[in-house]
Amino acid sequence: MANLTSISKSEKSYIQTALEAVPPLREDGRALYDFRAVLLATGVAPLANGSARINIGKNPEEGAGGTEILAATKLEVETVDSGDGVDGGRIVCTVTCSPAAYPLLSMNALDELQYDYTTTLHQVLSHPSLHPRNLGILPRKKSWLLNLDLVVLSDAGNVYDAMFMAARAALWDTKVPITRAVQYTAKKSSSSKPVDEKMDTDESSSGFDTRQIPSAQDFDLPDYWDEGEVLGGRELWPLAVTLNIHSSVHFLDATSKEEAAAPLKMMAAFAFPSTSSPTIQAVRLLGPGELQHARLQTLLSEAERFGQEMYDALEIKLRDEDFRRNHKARNRFAQR
Amino acid sequence: MVEITIRKRPREDAVVTQRKFFKKTARGKVIKVLRERYLRDDVNCGIQRCSLCSLDVEPTLPPLGTQEHQALSFGHYVIPDTNVFLAQMDLIESPLFKTPIVLLQTVMEEVRHRSLPLFNRLKMLMRTDEKTVWVFYNEYRSETAVIREEGETPNDRNDRGIRKATAWYNSHISLARPPIRNQPKPVLTTAVLLTDDVANRQKAEAEGLKAISVRRYVEGLKDANQLLDLLSVKGEEIEPTRAAAPRQALYPEYLPTATVLAGIKAGQLHQGHFNANQYNYLEGSVNVPAFTKPILLVGRETMNRAIDGDIVAVEVFPESEWKAPGDEVVDQESTLKNDDAEDSDDEEGEDDVEAAVELRIVQKEGTKRPAAEKQPTGRIVGMVKRNWRSYVCHIDRTSLQSSNPGSLSQQTVFATPVSRLLPRIRLRTRQAPSLVGQKILVTIDRWDSSSRYPEGHFVRALGQVESKEAEQESLLLEFDVPYRPFGKAILDCLPKEGDAWVVPPKNADDPEWKGRDDLRDLLICSIDPPGCQDIDDALHARPLPNGNIEAGVHIADVSRFVLPDTPMDNEAAARGTTVYLVDKRIDMLPELLGTNLCSLRPHVERLAFSVIWELSPEAEIVNVRFTKSVIASKEAFTYEAAQLRKDDPNMHDDLTKSIRLLNDLAIKLKAGRMAAGALNLASPEVKIHLDSAESSDPVDVEQKQLLETNSLVEEFMLLANISVARKIQETFPQTAVLRRHMPPPPTNFEKLKDVLLKRTGRSLDVSSSGALAASLDQCIDPNEPAFNTLVRIMATRCMLSAEYFCSGSVGRDTFGHYGLASPIYTHFTSPIRRYADVLAHRQLSAAISYSPLHPSLHSKPYVERVLDVVNRRHRMAQMASRASVEFYVGLALKARGISGTVTEDAFVIRTFRNGINVFVSALGIEGLVMFKREIQFDAENYTVSVPSPNDGAPTTISVFDKVRVKIDVEKDPNTQRGKVKMTLVSPVNSASL
Repeated sequence: MANLTSISKSEKSYIQTALEAVPPLREDGRALYDFRAVLLATGVAPLANGSARINIGKNPEEGAGGTEILAATKLEVETVDSGDGVDGGRIVCTVTCSPAAYPLLSMNALDELQYDYTTTLHQVLSHPSLHPRNLGILPRKKSWLLNLDLVVLSDAGNVYDAMFMAARAALWDTKVPITRAVQYTAKKSSSSKPVDEKMDTDESSSGFDTRQIPSAQDFDLPDYWDEGEVLGGRELWPLAVTLNIHSSVHFLDATSKEEAAAPLKMMAAFAFPSTSSPTIQAVRLLGPGELQHARLQTLLSEAERFGQEMYDALEIKLRDEDFRRNHKARNRFAQR
Repeated sequence: MVEITIRKRPREDAVVTQRKFFKKTARGKVIKVLRERYLRDDVNCGIQRCSLCSLDVEPTLPPLGTQEHQALSFGHYVIPDTNVFLAQMDLIESPLFKTPIVLLQTVMEEVRHRSLPLFNRLKMLMRTDEKTVWVFYNEYRSETAVIREEGETPNDRNDRGIRKATAWYNSHISLARPPIRNQPKPVLTTAVLLTDDVANRQKAEAEGLKAISVRRYVEGLKDANQLLDLLSVKGEEIEPTRAAAPRQALYPEYLPTATVLAGIKAGQLHQGHFNANQYNYLEGSVNVPAFTKPILLVGRETMNRAIDGDIVAVEVFPESEWKAPGDEVVDQESTLKNDDAEDSDDEEGEDDVEAAVELRIVQKEGTKRPAAEKQPTGRIVGMVKRNWRSYVCHIDRTSLQSSNPGSLSQQTVFATPVSRLLPRIRLRTRQAPSLVGQKILVTIDRWDSSSRYPEGHFVRALGQVESKEAEQESLLLEFDVPYRPFGKAILDCLPKEGDAWVVPPKNADDPEWKGRDDLRDLLICSIDPPGCQDIDDALHARPLPNGNIEAGVHIADVSRFVLPDTPMDNEAAARGTTVYLVDKRIDMLPELLGTNLCSLRPHVERLAFSVIWELSPEAEIVNVRFTKSVIASKEAFTYEAAQLRKDDPNMHDDLTKSIRLLNDLAIKLKAGRMAAGALNLASPEVKIHLDSAESSDPVDVEQKQLLETNSLVEEFMLLANISVARKIQETFPQTAVLRRHMPPPPTNFEKLKDVLLKRTGRSLDVSSSGALAASLDQCIDPNEPAFNTLVRIMATRCMLSAEYFCSGSVGRDTFGHYGLASPIYTHFTSPIRRYADVLAHRQLSAAISYSPLHPSLHSKPYVERVLDVVNRRHRMAQMASRASVEFYVGLALKARGISGTVTEDAFVIRTFRNGINVFVSALGIEGLVMFKREIQFDAENYTVSVPSPNDGAPTTISVFDKVRVKIDVEKDPNTQRGKVKMTLVSPVNSASL
């Protein structure tokens, strides 16, 4: 992986020595396992089905800086039998890096970087174990394509964690329009008597339930004004924890300079099912450094612990955001 | 310095400022739509002299509202709920309903969402001067805007918005008129919520608002008697007061729309227009693309409440249950004459008797019929689109309970539509006795599955039956011809000079002359029917030095005056065509253009669009050129005058020579066309003389004569149309306005072929238009010259009708015009009276780079939409003129009938189990001869055997036989509907049969 920030040898050695000191020292005075301030807002793109903007390490004085990522989901109807669609729906993730975030990279290098990010995110999120149950519309006929698009607006280190956080927030925010299958079934017997109910409309509103009807041809939207229901299994969307490893020290949330100084990064993505213990969804080792196998186990359990903390904090924030956008806004409107 | 306030709300208020909704597109995609909403405090309440609202708009609501209501003693406005407009539009539109109306934006949007035609009527209503309607944009005023609560249905949200706006109005009025000390508290004007939704009314009353149902409101008005008739029955079903005793359903319920659409998409159901059978009210058919023959519907249940013109979804039975169409004339009036209009509560009893009669008729059909005649048979399971409109009807006198003219009690009566294709309509009225003998307009409101007849309400009376005004207006209404005078906005599009407009003197810099050829010196003349005022074509021809001939067709340059996207253009597009009735012309364009500025009158300079050919002496096109021009016609001939001039051997002037030259060319052109396989079709055409001097009768009928000069004009118009069609298709392959005539499916001819073979031994080759033309030429009976015409008329009826289309919308191989045997065709030569020609003019003008093409004519959907309207209008206009002729033929018959009986020669064109259908060529009418006594009917050989009156040997009558019929016009004693009645005179006298 290309070093995105070039630092001089002496600078690198300065950062590394400070990390090895007792107690370890970091440029901005944080402890090893401290995160910079994380700012999150959901619902930032009104036309999207779900969206979020995240910033890690915004400088409070300047009101700028930090790693900033915008994530949004868009649902599209796909035809299964004749189009690209997959029965039950599919997820496609795309990461775009703003050239402003990487002014030093050439277009080609930027493309490669985007591709790297896209592959990682897509592989983790489109895994069958995470697939939401309500992306189907009509079995073997129509399904939703969930496009998750991320834009890295600026990079001040720790893009992976930020990316997964943004993706999780956007997916959590995503609402799937409620569809209803409509179909016509020909009568069996051929008497010319007025026949009874020949229609089979699925009254239950979830797309999932339409699976019971095999021959439905088309669907409609029972309520145009409703945003819809949340994605199934939205608590499962994974979070990533990146441990930056320098000799025996590891630390969280590296800034760009620290990333350049640390020879090895371990990125681990965890899902936190509410009923069982966390599951590892992905592990990546990035960088030229080496890691002994015995240490991997400890690092992973460390990462899981950090991940759990991050998950809890994010969950509170997401619910708070939801409340702010709906309930509070209505109240304020009512009290005008 | 104006204070600037920022009205846009911050992102935090997204719930309020943004309105999101999903939309499913026709292609099945789901789109999220976002609307930004700005709330303001200065949306005007519309009350005159309101002290709180700004004065930048002119308010229209009188400050005291209306006080003309018995129950509501205070001044008030009404705020109608959406259901009022959806169900009671006729009431609101009535000039007698004068209460000032506050129209809420919420209501307006809901109406638009639910029904576009009603929304358009609502828009018209807002514009009329007689009504006081104030549109209040409640969704944009900060106090009245509502947002949807969690779990609230859209309907509840809208109702809440309407109530909130009503409450706001009342508080606003009280704020605007604060009580003054030492003076009694003023009685405030009140906003009253008008709704038929009981739940909404109860909620409103709980919130302390005045709310009232439409019926209760109307009952308190001054003109309650007339207004109550306008109330649609539909609105009442929301009232819980009527005990809803479950009645036996006579018809199966319709499937829900979504299911129907899914079924059609899957190919299990078929969608098409429902066509009622005019001979048998228990039978109908639906043409669908999936079958070559129309789907047959037999019996009331399978027709399931469809009314002629509705778009329905049909389910087809398995092939073993297919039937053949009936061969009996079944008249609704005679079969069901005992039906009682008041029977809405008990449809049993004698109904059963009639039901049994109907059942017998239905069952008799289709038995013992040859399999070849069987058609796909099915039943209607769903309604795609109702095409109900207002129908012209007569009140059935027998259905009246009380005919005391003073009686104002409400009665339920039957209204019989003028059109035989429609069922009787049941309506409730208080004016029944005074409406007998009048033509009235009735709207159908609903047709419940438990009701045998549709229910409707009275809209207005048109006048006494057989008065010319009433008949004329009823014709126009019946065929949906827009006949209102042109509005001011349209007349404003005319040249300011009016009558005095002239072509400016020739000057190269003048925009009028730019790019125009000066053809004023050419010997141009026009040939038209006598009395023609809208002359849109003129011709010329002259020999060229190289031996070829230059011929030119000059068409009025209407597109110079009718510019795209102006009110006049839109009106013309909506009218589509000029409608010619016997005694009236309903113009497509204002009279100033049609009969003056565009009309190519003689001896004045006029702008024209010219098509100029160089033709070889054999009438082959060497070269063609299109140009805008200025012409001065030298003479306006009638067909007769031109014919006389041409045939007069003493005339040798240049104009006469040019007519002869044109005539020679036309003969060759026609020969060439006939050789290519063009059809010479015939339709019964008669000419009506109105109060002519030659005839003693006030009105007389005469068959139209065709002269050589008719054909002359026709040939050149065809040539011009074909040349123009080629040019615009070349230039605008995607959007050219063309006209085509699809070849008829061979199955259409099966019956005619069979009849011809069995009755006369002749065969008809229908493989191509040329073959058909050749075999039609051979259908000659030396003893009976009219026989050929008869066969031609019958062949014409088997064909499809020609239609306009957009060249990009259909395959290149279907462009052909079957009747003219031309690979491509358009209409270019009558822009004054046909809108398609105006479009063709614009396209041709762009094709020769005279003017840029308006962007709308580059858009395929736009052209398709306009042509759809034009096609429909064209069809309706034809039917209207035919009906107008029929009416006058009826008058003429009546006039002749006074001086004695009318007997005419007629041909049998169809045989039924209980009658024959005859065609009277001298009058161009068709009629039924019914036999009351049992007759022998041979369906295989198309004959009926009628026993002679004095029990002698039976006489056999078959199709194509010539008979003599006695014709008289009799009024149906019940409905006052004029009816042509025919009885056989020879070979047998059927008066006693």
